[in-house]
Amino acid sequence: MNDNIIIVTIAGAVVAGTPLVLAALGEILTERSGVMNLGIEGMMLMGAVFGIAGTLATGDPYIGVVAGTIAGAGLALIHAGLVISLRVSQIVSGLGLVIVGTGLSSFIGKLPASPLTDRASVEGFHRLLPKGVADLPGIGPIVLGHDPIVYASWLLVGACSFYLFRTRTGLAVRAVGEDPATADAAGVRVGLVRYVHTVMGGALAGLGGAYLTIALTGIWQEGITAGYGWIAFAMVSFSAWRPWRALITGYVFGALTNLSFTLQLAGVAVPSDLLAALPFLLTIITLIAISARPASARGRAAPAALAVPYDRESRVL
Amino acid sequence: MVGRRLVVERRGTPSLLARILFPLSSVLGAVIIGGSFLLAAGHDPIEAYRIVLQSSFGSDLTWVRTLISATPLILTAIAVAVAFRMKIWNIGGEGQLLVGAIAASGIALALGDSVPSFLAITASLAAGCIAGAFWASLAALPRAYLHTDEVISTLMLNFVGLYLMNYLIFGSISPWRDPESMSFPRGRLIPVAAELPQIWMRLSIGLPIAIAVAVLFWWILRSTRWGFEIRVIGDSPLTGRYAGMSVPRTIMSVLLVSGGIAGLAGAILVTGSTHSLAPGSLAVGLGYTGIVVAAVSRFNPLAVIPVAVLVAGLSNAGSSLQVLGVPSEIVVLLQGLILLLVAAAEFLRENRVRLVSREDELETQAS
Repeated sequence: MNDNIIIVTIAGAVVAGTPLVLAALGEILTERSGVMNLGIEGMMLMGAVFGIAGTLATGDPYIGVVAGTIAGAGLALIHAGLVISLRVSQIVSGLGLVIVGTGLSSFIGKLPASPLTDRASVEGFHRLLPKGVADLPGIGPIVLGHDPIVYASWLLVGACSFYLFRTRTGLAVRAVGEDPATADAAGVRVGLVRYVHTVMGGALAGLGGAYLTIALTGIWQEGITAGYGWIAFAMVSFSAWRPWRALITGYVFGALTNLSFTLQLAGVAVPSDLLAALPFLLTIITLIAISARPASARGRAAPAALAVPYDRESRVL
Repeated sequence: MVGRRLVVERRGTPSLLARILFPLSSVLGAVIIGGSFLLAAGHDPIEAYRIVLQSSFGSDLTWVRTLISATPLILTAIAVAVAFRMKIWNIGGEGQLLVGAIAASGIALALGDSVPSFLAITASLAAGCIAGAFWASLAALPRAYLHTDEVISTLMLNFVGLYLMNYLIFGSISPWRDPESMSFPRGRLIPVAAELPQIWMRLSIGLPIAIAVAVLFWWILRSTRWGFEIRVIGDSPLTGRYAGMSVPRTIMSVLLVSGGIAGLAGAILVTGSTHSLAPGSLAVGLGYTGIVVAAVSRFNPLAVIPVAVLVAGLSNAGSSLQVLGVPSEIVVLLQGLILLLVAAAEFLRENRVRLVSREDELETQAS
């Protein structure tokens, strides 16, 4: 029964969607503090190359995960410095970091000392729960049969949701994203909050990238994220800046990226290039559909100070 | 609070010298940072950069190669400059270029050798422009009338355009595909009638066309009503509206023109250098590199010309660096670094950062 096409599809969507969920969750944290990070694609690529290189070098995928997370956070720190301290356009900085992340990850992957040069592959993670449980019909593959990172992503979604909406610090973060001048007057350190959440967002994007190479592909290839980072960026507005919705949206896109495999199982032949374009088309259509809704429905969602640099002096004047 | 803190003050209008020196020093900064990456990877950065210069500007042959690469880059950068001037973030140059290439090669193949060369070339270039503008319109219409974020929509269309081109060459037996290439699919060669005339070895009239477009848009942005509207709305859409300008219509026209220029880049690539719909030579990130070129040029179409030549030389050097064992991707890294440093230098050019003590600050406030 666990070979059933629906069960295989859903289980595959969860695994394929996990990098998207993690990256989108990170971007939600960043954007809630008022910073827009367009550079996710670059941060995921850095996480991807460091993730698999760390795994190959040590034989331990969890060390790879840590390496990828740090790499993503490092790139995000540059974004934070540029857009928060130097007030560089967040769009220009984000695009610049995508190019830097693309170039640097490919450069690292080709270094003579790199463990990736001979197209080495990794085994990935082991399931968290014993085989008997994971083989239970239906619920086994979909819920119980995953590796620890999938469960960690569920915990992270819950934790971020609680943090943003149920804690004092989370309230301060949202205040910084909505009205930094007022938050500043109330004693919240706007710059610090934005730095911390930009770096946390980059760390989660790096984690997502590391999961992509370690668990999904098992190998490194230049530009392996192939637009995943941009889809994660778009998912943030689809999810109305809410972690739980990012989880669902991530799995929908996960199912879409797996569609060619699913259709193959169902015996339907559709050109793979057209299928590959589908998630991007769907993103545009969803985006247009969202903006076509009445202003009252969409106005609430985005943080009011998103992508607006904060300058204390300009408030005084 | 004890001690000092950083204070940021606005500078006055910068001199022409400062406007040239700041971007130049950021390029130099990127070269130094890139060099330290090379050093860390165990390469000799001086030798690597010498090879870059030699393989891009060392002889007539390499100059021709660099200018051929600069041609589409000038156009994608102008496409970016026109849109970014109005703070319309058209990141879709890559997709618009690819769709322009698909249309130009499609028309060239459809017309065949029977039509006069002038007609075949004009039709192909026009088709590229129209297709690029059409691709941009898919993002422009929702942006102008529904406020749909154009950053994401133009970017997503890049991937759709890329997969469309791949489908035409790799995924199907389309009219674009060379019927004789079974195991290694490639594009069908366009008829000679549609090939751009060559002016210096393999360099085609594409370069003069691109330069003419640059001059034209420098003049348009500077001296026409439309250019004025772009600048006003870019600074403040509200001001534009109060002055009686139609903001949605200007957004539409800017994105269509921007897409058309990027589409022309694709058409010139096909008719001027690849002579077929060649995915490997077309999808090389020219749309994204155009953003770097435009930013370094501070969105000035005239400045785009020399900067595009410089960046094209850098990009071309990648393959020569591989001889040294240096991964060619170092040039992509350098492009990204240049973009970031130029943006950071912009801040330093406009603002003076000073360290002041608490007492000084209180004194200034008292006086």
